[in-house]
Amino acid sequence: MTKAAATPLVLSRCAACHSRFLPSDAPCPRCGSVETHPYPVPDLGRTVAATELSAPAPGWPVPHRLVLAEVADGVRVLAVVDGPLPSISDPLHVRLEGDTYRARPVGPAPGERGEGESPKTRRAGPSFEPPR
Amino acid sequence: MSAHVASVGIGRFGKRSEGLVELAAEAGALALEGVGRKPIDLLVVGSMLSHGASGREPLLPRLASRLSLEAASGLRAESTSATGAMAFHTAYDALETGRYERALVVAVEKMTDASTPEVTAELASALHPEEVRHGATMPALAALVTQRYLERHELPLSAIDRPSVHARAMAARNPNAMFQTPVTDTDVAASRMVASPLRLLHCSAIADGAVGVVLERGTGPATVLGTGQGFESMRIVDRPDLTSFAATRIAAQRAYEAAGITRKELGVVEVHDAFAPFPLIHLEDLGICGPGEGAQWYDRGWVSLDGRLPVNPSGGLIGRGHPIAASSLAGIAEVAAQLRGEAGRHATASLPKIGLAHAVGGLASHNFVTILGGAAP
Repeated sequence: MTKAAATPLVLSRCAACHSRFLPSDAPCPRCGSVETHPYPVPDLGRTVAATELSAPAPGWPVPHRLVLAEVADGVRVLAVVDGPLPSISDPLHVRLEGDTYRARPVGPAPGERGEGESPKTRRAGPSFEPPR
Repeated sequence: MSAHVASVGIGRFGKRSEGLVELAAEAGALALEGVGRKPIDLLVVGSMLSHGASGREPLLPRLASRLSLEAASGLRAESTSATGAMAFHTAYDALETGRYERALVVAVEKMTDASTPEVTAELASALHPEEVRHGATMPALAALVTQRYLERHELPLSAIDRPSVHARAMAARNPNAMFQTPVTDTDVAASRMVASPLRLLHCSAIADGAVGVVLERGTGPATVLGTGQGFESMRIVDRPDLTSFAATRIAAQRAYEAAGITRKELGVVEVHDAFAPFPLIHLEDLGICGPGEGAQWYDRGWVSLDGRLPVNPSGGLIGRGHPIAASSLAGIAEVAAQLRGEAGRHATASLPKIGLAHAVGGLASHNFVTILGGAAP
């Protein structure tokens, strides 16, 4: 994959039902309206789930790490992980490079985990609130 | 107007030397023999990949020719791993119009003549392109669902091992299943990691296979009581909840309403266990148990042949193997065979009167529920 310049994280807001969602070519996933407005948000999110693949889609290195991250307004992003596999609730920096979302753990890296180890499940603590 | 499953035909699932059309013809011929070669006026076929030596094959006319069904009308259905169920629903809807008397439904997949990376790439077409662009595969997204499910219900990782052990135990009784040997929790936990936390034995296997079903007007032990289907967003980022599949809940509600029954009347169930954690979610979405209770059903043996509600007595996708389009018709065929007393060594302890077959298309973006039973309401 070629490196592309990172752009600010931008979400979409539906003009009809006011849903917030990840931009796409499709209409609003809630109501089908085609009138949507982009708006920038901070590049911070938290880990909802993450996985390490031994056989990713063609063209990606092995192992390949993916994270489902929650960013501002509860919107979720599927992103390629740069660095170690994050644990559930771990904070992340999320950015868009070209047409690919990428995520990087915030703060000191917890260290590389072994092959295939899962993010630890944690008891619910104070929920991570992305800055607005 | 009523319609019932009059016959089922299933060849052995696994690595087969025959080609796509030959596999489909084998299952179709078995089903036709089951009704004494009575005339067929509708042929409905389903296949997702349609591999052949030179790529895609024109399956419908070739199968009609092989089975001498040139006098029938033909339709083709496709909705990824729910293709077989969709073909069955299409045939049922066609019979309901009164235009047809008897339909042969065949679902088939030939997968083992392609490499695993090739098949993986083709199966990714059942996912949203934006997510595939990030390197996502079916096991990857299933792994994310699994983590959310375990986290939400505070379940240990071992909760997802039990469905694999159950599937392989059931498959060992099914001569048409790909896997004929049982496995233990230790085997599952020691198998190779595919997409954490999913290991090899948590995942259904690439397989060749075909299923044929004759559906005809009238009633019998496997009368179609209700059908339903539902959609959910293909992009998992747009789903408000990953621990439940809306497409199943919608399909189940429609099927239960059409059948005029509740889940308490079910005597056997086949659910789409492409990945071991999924049957836990399916049991919950079908209303068979409450949220987070699916694992308990496996732990306590309530899903076994003599349990509270036998689940996947055929071995399911994990035990039978997963020839993509054929699997969901195999689930319907299994329920029909159970109701008709034709399930052999994997028959439930008591003859069920009503059964449910559940199918998943893609990552649960297009799901189907079929309810069969002894008499039309």
